[in-house]
Amino acid sequence: MAPTVGLPRALLYYKYHAAWDAFFNHLGVETVTSENTSKKVLNIGLKASDSEICLPVKVFYGHALDLGEKCDYVFIPRIVQVEKGSFTCPKFLGLPDMIRAVDNPPEIISPTIDVRNGRHAIRDAALEVGRMFTDDEAKIVKAYKLAMKALRKHEKDLVKENIEKTPIEKLKSLIGGNEGNKEPVLRIGIAGHAYNIEDPYISLNLIQRLKDRGIEVVTPENVPMKKIKKAAKDAPKDLFWNYERDILGASYHWVKNKVVDGIIYVVAFPCGPDSTIQVFVEGYAKKEGPVPLMSIVIDEHSAEAGLVTRLEAFVDLLTESKLSAQGV
Amino acid sequence: MDGYLGIDVGSVSTNLVVLDENEEVVAKIYRRTQGKPIEAVQAGLTELEDLLTEPVNVLGVGATGSARHLTGVVVGADAVRNEITAHAMAARHAQPDVRTVLEIGGQDSKVIVLQDGIPIDFAMNTVCAAGTGSFLDHQSSRLGIPIEEFGGIAMTAERGSQIAGRCGVFAESDMIHKQQVGHPTNEIVYGLCQALVRNYLNNLAKGKDILAPIVFQGGVAANEGMKRAFEEALEQEVTIPEHFNVMGAIGSALLAKRIMSRTDNTTHFKGFHSADFEYKTSSFGCAACANSCEIIQIAQEDGSEKGDVLARWGGRCDKWDLAPTSITQA
Ligand code: SF4
Ligand code: SF4
Repeated sequence: MAPTVGLPRALLYYKYHAAWDAFFNHLGVETVTSENTSKKVLNIGLKASDSEICLPVKVFYGHALDLGEKCDYVFIPRIVQVEKGSFTCPKFLGLPDMIRAVDNPPEIISPTIDVRNGRHAIRDAALEVGRMFTDDEAKIVKAYKLAMKALRKHEKDLVKENIEKTPIEKLKSLIGGNEGNKEPVLRIGIAGHAYNIEDPYISLNLIQRLKDRGIEVVTPENVPMKKIKKAAKDAPKDLFWNYERDILGASYHWVKNKVVDGIIYVVAFPCGPDSTIQVFVEGYAKKEGPVPLMSIVIDEHSAEAGLVTRLEAFVDLLTESKLSAQGV
Repeated sequence: MDGYLGIDVGSVSTNLVVLDENEEVVAKIYRRTQGKPIEAVQAGLTELEDLLTEPVNVLGVGATGSARHLTGVVVGADAVRNEITAHAMAARHAQPDVRTVLEIGGQDSKVIVLQDGIPIDFAMNTVCAAGTGSFLDHQSSRLGIPIEEFGGIAMTAERGSQIAGRCGVFAESDMIHKQQVGHPTNEIVYGLCQALVRNYLNNLAKGKDILAPIVFQGGVAANEGMKRAFEEALEQEVTIPEHFNVMGAIGSALLAKRIMSRTDNTTHFKGFHSADFEYKTSSFGCAACANSCEIIQIAQEDGSEKGDVLARWGGRCDKWDLAPTSITQA
């Protein structure tokens, strides 16, 4: 039987799963992705993790431990540096050790991803993992190349090149209709880590709730990297966390070019990087926009009802303001 | 005359307003809900019509408050929106650059934070009486001073008596103590206003940036002593809008007007005498926590076994609140 490797559907899975799947599959290793986050998954995580740690890491524990029972290995890379000169959150460095420290830990595969280890750092990490399953180095290198290709394709597919303002004519046509309160499309940027905003359980289904209302949602991953980097130059100081740089750059881009009507920043609690970036983004949205920005802080006690009320109020008056301002 | 109707039905009070084309209030009603939202709305509509000096051709109706869905069906509303939306709308209409809305009613209180006219944060309290108007109501009956006179008396005080008031019960015994040791009544009255402001700011508004311009609304804003206490505590000016006690109704009328004026639709309004409404009231006990609330619900009588549930109230938390319409509707 082919060995199975579990991919916890949490944290950087949301960024890199395309690569991970492609890599293992080419090696003939079956991957098992954990189920969507649920109350059960969260409870496993809450029990096993330190109560002081951020919600996404607690959720990660849940996924990793749940998978441990279903697979031969759990894949938890130690991601230190993915871009020269910038770091990831320190939590990612410690992740494999944290999971190893639980009672009855699963078998973990944890290559170190650190671009300071030379030009071929990532390929070398791939080779290290591949050798566990095959002696055929050429095959591993091929798997690595396929993985990088899949990742680039995945990222490219997410990018929306030309997001522009909705023209007034379109707004007018959208509110016509006989349907009473038919409302126009707003475009809202959701800022935050992909593992928060794209996990429906953690984000209380934020994106879907907005989409159900006919609102167009954009996330940092939809913004081309070139624009992110350019906009991030406006930051008050150089950011040494690169995922957070992306969130900041995307938000700055939305504000500066006025391509969104509002921004919702989803912040995990407690998260040092998020709370720092949040302050920068809030300040920028006020000063350079103004683009209304609502921050939502999520922890394991976040309640749905309060969120829905806030969302409604935000969206209803955003709609009202937008139409009034444009004389519609 | 053309006009717009706004109705705010909460568990305690039911407010109705008529706005004219210029968005000015031409008539308003403030009455108790007394656990009977449908009756309150129907009676309120009749009273409201009596106040009108000329017949109003209603072009749009907005409903808000915890019984907004029910109200929407009973009267035929064109815009059903939650309280935060409605209050923020009214506040920014009264004061376009408002950043903070302080709202204290008889049994509930809220704080709303706005950026560029858009509500970005809020908190609501329906559980702790020490942060609502009922705190003052209670002490006023203890002191034997009508609540309406509180404001005037508070304004004559040079300072407020320091009343320990984290909770209504302690406040009461402390107040009696202050009376016994001879504190002047006006200082006690003002001290009570300060205690309510302290409770409000320390609990509800905790961790929120209270930025100017600040609008203070809700029934309790009738009390000038409260305005003074807020201004002293915040060291900022606080504005009270003219129609401070019916802001939810004004906001929902405004929303209805904006929505209707953008479309060619005609209103769903059933008229000032929409009595033909069949419904069924039932109740059940909630066992989800030690509070064991008695939940009352109203369903539309539509021939089916259960009907459409239009309103629920009686819970001390929001567990049984109905799923909001506006977020799912559009
Ligand atoms: S960036 Fe924040 S949310 Fe993400 S792992 Fe680090 S502390 Fe947790
Ligand atoms: S309604 Fe809320 S407060 Fe009341 S018993 Fe149920 S869970 Fe408890």
